[in-house]
Amino acid sequence: MKYQSQRFTILALLLTVALALTACVAVAPASGDDAMMEEEGGFVVGVSNTLVGNGWREQMICAIKAEATASGLVESVVVVNRNGGPTEQIADLEGLISQGVDAIILNPTDREGLNAVIESAIAQGIVVVAVDQAVTAEGAYVATNDQTAYARLGAEWLFEQLGGSGKVVEMRGIDGVPADTDRHNGFNEALANYPDIEVVASTFTGWDPSTGAQQALDLITTQEIDGIWTSGIDYSVVEQFQVADVDFVPIVGADNNGFVEQLIQLADAGLMGAAVTNPPAIGAVGMAIALDALTGNNPPHETILTPQVFTTADLDALNAIYAPDEQVGWSTYVDIEPYTSYNGSADVSACTAPGE
Amino acid sequence: MMTAVRSASTAVWRAGLTRNTWTLGVWLLLSALLIWYATLIPVFGQFQITSISKNSLPLVYLAIGQAIIVIAGGIDLSLGALLLLTNALAARLMDDQPFAMVLFIAIFLIAGLGILNALVGYIISVSGVPDIVVTLATGYIWSGFALWILPSPGGGTAPEFRWLFTGAQSGIGGTYIMPILMMAAPAILVFLLSRHTRIGLSIYAIGSDSIAARLAGLDVRRAKVSSYAIGGAMAALAGLATVALTGTGDPRFSVGANATLNSVAAVVLGGVALVGGTGLVLGAVAAGVILIMLNPILSAVGIDPNNAQIIQGLLIAGVMMVGGLVTLLRERSA
Repeated sequence: MKYQSQRFTILALLLTVALALTACVAVAPASGDDAMMEEEGGFVVGVSNTLVGNGWREQMICAIKAEATASGLVESVVVVNRNGGPTEQIADLEGLISQGVDAIILNPTDREGLNAVIESAIAQGIVVVAVDQAVTAEGAYVATNDQTAYARLGAEWLFEQLGGSGKVVEMRGIDGVPADTDRHNGFNEALANYPDIEVVASTFTGWDPSTGAQQALDLITTQEIDGIWTSGIDYSVVEQFQVADVDFVPIVGADNNGFVEQLIQLADAGLMGAAVTNPPAIGAVGMAIALDALTGNNPPHETILTPQVFTTADLDALNAIYAPDEQVGWSTYVDIEPYTSYNGSADVSACTAPGE
Repeated sequence: MMTAVRSASTAVWRAGLTRNTWTLGVWLLLSALLIWYATLIPVFGQFQITSISKNSLPLVYLAIGQAIIVIAGGIDLSLGALLLLTNALAARLMDDQPFAMVLFIAIFLIAGLGILNALVGYIISVSGVPDIVVTLATGYIWSGFALWILPSPGGGTAPEFRWLFTGAQSGIGGTYIMPILMMAAPAILVFLLSRHTRIGLSIYAIGSDSIAARLAGLDVRRAKVSSYAIGGAMAALAGLATVALTGTGDPRFSVGANATLNSVAAVVLGGVALVGGTGLVLGAVAAGVILIMLNPILSAVGIDPNNAQIIQGLLIAGVMMVGGLVTLLRERSA
């Protein structure tokens, strides 16, 4: 009795699933519409992101949506957004392929681990664009910010401000992360040309504003420093000068809204600084490249954006990118010529895809 | 002694019978979800079946392991960390090795982690410290070891090994026979072990009532240690599957933590009551696949899969309440 009932259970289970699978294949319409496109518009674009709750990534997704809306060529954007590693991202990409999207924009978790699924998508006629970080898959488009140049350009500005000699602090991001390694290399490239610049301290902020603030406060109150280079933890460092009532020294940061605001408002109080761009709008650049590829314009497979440097020497330029309505962590440099077609921070901040 | 086992097992079986309905229900739910998903996307064929079955493998293995431990009256919060540890070890050791060597490493890891977790089960049994405390602690240790072995994503494995789990040497677009076989074989093996062997029945017995099992003359410690050994071996299998899926190792703590939580979710959804002693391993298998399928389904209907966590939570809360209600009604009528 017992054995029979168990056999029955197993048999019933197998039968259920077998029936379901048969039904699935029967239900699904046959794939007949293989007519190669080069059509104008109506595209469905999938987005895969695997870091949730990060301001930069959220802005990247909003920029993708904004560009999709502004282009007028996109019917809908399918965002697959959850925390995970290569395992989750492979599943997400397969899901997007199954949905029959025309293009996929992804911020990859791994340089090589996703190649097979990306190449499989490309083989099915899907345009794949990796943004922010590169992949090595054959046929994929890659759009990245030049992290080495990000650090080199900022550091060169700083060393020039100091007249080629002085004591500086290097405030890095997270040890071992590719972007941090690239930036450190860029910093050292600049340093090699300025033998009289001395790096008196090097810290890892973990790209966390409060950690960076604490480190900065310790440094500026205990030793003599002539300049600070930061890997994007900037406005909270500037605040520490005000807290400790110490005279400002030249500081390099990113295009964070809070930092840009400080550079504009504290210029009279003697603050000198440079905002080096690391735009999350690289997502929008990826969207523009995907649409170019879909409409048969054959964009180049590799696009590397060179960072822009906005300094206190040109307050008008800083005012032009300043976004008074946004948060301190908002990346203000959103309009990237010639890729983006939306209009400024307001459009990106609205974060609306076509049909939303 | 023999009669004691016999009567204990019939009592267990009667309790388990109502749970069988649950298991069937979960499989029906899975079938319904499959059909629904097929209507949501333009093409449903080999690619989609392979994708779902291979991506489900790590969670399904973990759910089987967790189910056995929960049935024995315990819970193992270190299973995700064991997955991580195997993933790191496998990616590091298998890199650039021939297939035969890779297979040897895989078997070595399954056996090794089975023994390692058996030791944890032994410590729990001897010390009397609650499962949840010991495994939480060991979980942190295994995660730490994983990071120490593989400090950043990297490593690799043999293409044939990827074929074994995914049906393709590149890990993508293969036949669904391999992943379904790799899912079914361990699931049926552990299921039969749990229902048809003396050790399996004592696992149910100690989970149902450990004092009664001891009085009935069962070796409670042996059953407990066995359940943890199976859990460890299944976690190792899950770690191997993740290496096969991605072709690299990924030692991040969050991967293991998520995997542990999902394994508990799959067990609850699969009809294995957290109080122990009831439920079938096969229910957890279907529940594992369902949890993996939620993401593509939600994204196909236009819901941000990040909200899948909310839906998953609601699903588990609902399942717990329905389960509680069923027990309450049965007690009233009895």
